[in-house]
Amino acid sequence: MAVSASKRVLRFAGVRFRYPGTDAAALDGVTLDVGGGEGIGLFGPNGAGKTTLLRLAMGLIRGAAGTVELGDLEPGADPEDRARVAGYLFQQPEAQLFERTVERDVAFGPRCLGWNETEVAEATRKALEEVGLSRAAEEHPYNLSAPHRRLVALAAVLAPDPPLLLLDEPTAGLDRGSRAVVRDAVLRRRASGSAVLAVTHDGEFALEALDRGVILERGRITASATVAELLGRQGAPTPPPAALLTRQLGLTVAVPRFESVVSALVGSLPHPHTAH
Amino acid sequence: MSAVELRGLNFRYAAALTDALAGVTFSVDAGEICWLYGAPGAGASTLLLAAAGLAPRFTGGTIEGDVRVLGDDPRTAEGRHRLRGQIAHLGAVPDLQLSGVAENVFEEIAFGPANLRWPLDRIDAAVREAAGRLEITHLLTRSPLHLSGGEKQRVVFASLLALGPPVWLLDEADSALDAEGRGIVAELMLAERNRGAAILVAAEDADAMLGVADRVVLLDRGVIAFEGNPRELLSHDLAWERGPGGTSIAGLGRAAHARSNAARFAPPYPLGVSEAAARWR
Repeated sequence: MAVSASKRVLRFAGVRFRYPGTDAAALDGVTLDVGGGEGIGLFGPNGAGKTTLLRLAMGLIRGAAGTVELGDLEPGADPEDRARVAGYLFQQPEAQLFERTVERDVAFGPRCLGWNETEVAEATRKALEEVGLSRAAEEHPYNLSAPHRRLVALAAVLAPDPPLLLLDEPTAGLDRGSRAVVRDAVLRRRASGSAVLAVTHDGEFALEALDRGVILERGRITASATVAELLGRQGAPTPPPAALLTRQLGLTVAVPRFESVVSALVGSLPHPHTAH
Repeated sequence: MSAVELRGLNFRYAAALTDALAGVTFSVDAGEICWLYGAPGAGASTLLLAAAGLAPRFTGGTIEGDVRVLGDDPRTAEGRHRLRGQIAHLGAVPDLQLSGVAENVFEEIAFGPANLRWPLDRIDAAVREAAGRLEITHLLTRSPLHLSGGEKQRVVFASLLALGPPVWLLDEADSALDAEGRGIVAELMLAERNRGAAILVAAEDADAMLGVADRVVLLDRGVIAFEGNPRELLSHDLAWERGPGGTSIAGLGRAAHARSNAARFAPPYPLGVSEAAARWR
């Protein structure tokens, strides 16, 4: 289900929230819009309120003041209804994997949304293929390595093809190959019109897969800009080596993404066929 | 005697068709940071669980070969008794490592020392010092169950640090931390190494480990594919060919070399940003 690039799928306006029994507000007046096709990074130090914001969007916690609008849903909509609009990748994949095979875990979402078995099977096959784990379909999720377990959780979120992906540290603890899988999935879904709001401490992933970002500190948004501008600031991820190298060499690239930096490095050489 | 010694270690999970570890022999000395590097499924987590005496005890499966930590076998009850408080095994899922009985973070960090029956003033000092080093002193009165993922990871780290363990077995233990937290953990590893701890750390972030690891062991499907200097491994193609890859800068070099075939991008690759800037200017 794709949405047009301009359409807003998630809106926070003046959101305030305090966990029962705590003194300080977890969220203290957060305003943020997420539109179709957008890729937004949610940055900030540990304990800033990033996960709380995602959980409020999914209806997993309630009782916030202000406005939380998800798609066209009523404010009090159940998590079951919200699942048609948004897929949520938990910070710990163990929090969302509970079936006895990888395939059943990935099929769970589409099945719950009432898709017929042919559609469920096709969506499951495609999602597992997208994360490169087709061969693991019959495995128990807990028999996989930790990085592959996270990719199974991602496949489960991708399978129903929701218009909004809420990803909580999707690349944490992943190897280089698995990080590329996550990056490609995010870029592919964004290209087809889905929006992505991702909590991340991974500067390379943020730069490659997202455009814009906000820094959340003590429940407040303290900065909002492009990812490239935010990296390295207090609370934001550190800039990846490719970005630092770009700066040191004075390479001319609009955004220091891997492919652009490689092109700039190679382009700075005399062309092999014209150099004598 | 090395702090951690593995000899001819084989491990196979129940119902698995292949060995998770096959003939692994190496050791980690006191005062050394040894980095375990490998693609998913290469066996790094299994190796750390075996060295901690947690596999096969909690994982099932069969183990062969010899495991010694500080001269004791952590697979036996007697060995574990002698090793109590000596091994810090820290994984990527902090919720699995919280005691579940502590009302606040102070008690959580005090849980290990209290079980070892340390005197109260020593416990108090150890908890405050560990909390200070992880920069979570402001969380000491909070419930450990109501913290963020990154805060919990700092708490379990502090709860092990309070014991001053001579052996650390770390499995992506900083995965939920912010940039500042990762810096703190890197500093901690260096400080604990310098005071004589043996540190065996599984990590996928080659950029971060480059400045920290004294030695690297590359695992490929349960077998050691390389053991030695991290700089030597990361400046060549072996780790890219055998699974996990390498530093981001070496990745740029490989891609630039593949595209241009220019000698300046050929191995040995520069590893850090300033090396690359000097070489590719």
